Amino acid sequence: MITDNLGLAQQLARRFLHRGEPLEDLVQVASIALVKSVDRFDPGRGVDFAAFATSTIIGELKRHFRDKGWAVRASRRVQELYLELGHATATLIQELGRSPTVAELARATGSTEEAVIEAIEAGQGYRATSIDASENEDDPLSYRLGRLDAHYDSVEERALLAPALAMLPPRERSILRMRFVQGLTQSEIAGAIGVSQMHVSRLLAASLEELRHHIDGRAGD
Amino acid sequence: MIEPDVAGADPLGDGDRIVLTFPARGDLVVLARLVASAISTRVGFDIEELEDLRLAVGELCLLALQGSDAWHGDLRLEFTVSAEALDISCTLGGAAPALGGRGDEGAEADQLSEQILAALVDAHGRVEEDGSVRAWLLKRRKGPLA
Repeated sequence: MITDNLGLAQQLARRFLHRGEPLEDLVQVASIALVKSVDRFDPGRGVDFAAFATSTIIGELKRHFRDKGWAVRASRRVQELYLELGHATATLIQELGRSPTVAELARATGSTEEAVIEAIEAGQGYRATSIDASENEDDPLSYRLGRLDAHYDSVEERALLAPALAMLPPRERSILRMRFVQGLTQSEIAGAIGVSQMHVSRLLAASLEELRHHIDGRAGD
Repeated sequence: MIEPDVAGADPLGDGDRIVLTFPARGDLVVLARLVASAISTRVGFDIEELEDLRLAVGELCLLALQGSDAWHGDLRLEFTVSAEALDISCTLGGAAPALGGRGDEGAEADQLSEQILAALVDAHGRVEEDGSVRAWLLKRRKGPLA
């Protein structure tokens, strides 16, 4: 009975891949669970053995992840990947001269495309915080700029943004336009206006901060 | 007032319904899983339940696809939120039955999917109605509505 159902154990183990556990470990857990299900199976109850074994094996696989604190680690992993994506995005923008695709981000972070999308989705809650943070090499502004762009995409939000932009000095407005409208990198902007990339970075950070304060003030009216 | 959850998403509530339709291709089942994740988060399922649903929704799509020449069809997933549960229905429309029928292999795959669903969700089923196949599942919430 065990030999006949080893294939079932392997198939079920495969369903739990991509959660950070090697397939061999999962197959081992599933195989042990299969043995347990043979011990526990009572033919007198009229339940099909495969159905009983499937339920037992899935239960054991889930317990395996639970015992290893998987839920906490998974949640942390999503947050870490979200942060990692920020760094990878900034690096790839510099390397490629354009925004990276999800596939490129997945390759750069050693994740799947699905995991990248999941992390972006789950990380939306961190957006406001990331805009607040100061600019430095570990927290590239170019990454946060993308977030801001997505953040103000409704008509209402753009209505708030327009007057805030008008309050900025012409040079800062021009830098924002080059970055967001023309899609230039920080280095390209630096070359265009004759300052260092870091200075562009600081100016962008300061402009965003000012925009945020202005918008927060208006939104609270 | 409904408070946003930790991911900054507005929760879904009793009676909310979301429909996703996509070409019935295996490589697009990822869409079903992603939407299931997003919805699970918004109805307050914990991460384990979310993973159960991701797994289950994949099996649901497989169940609906099995035995059909699905290349010309569409999969339509309907997610319905109630106070007690999340109901997901997957319908394959516009696809002809596969040449040669389902076969033993198809029946075995169906059986495995159904067994997996039985272990992951509270209720599930597969019905053929009006020339199309509909697979469905129901996952109850442990706690009150988010």
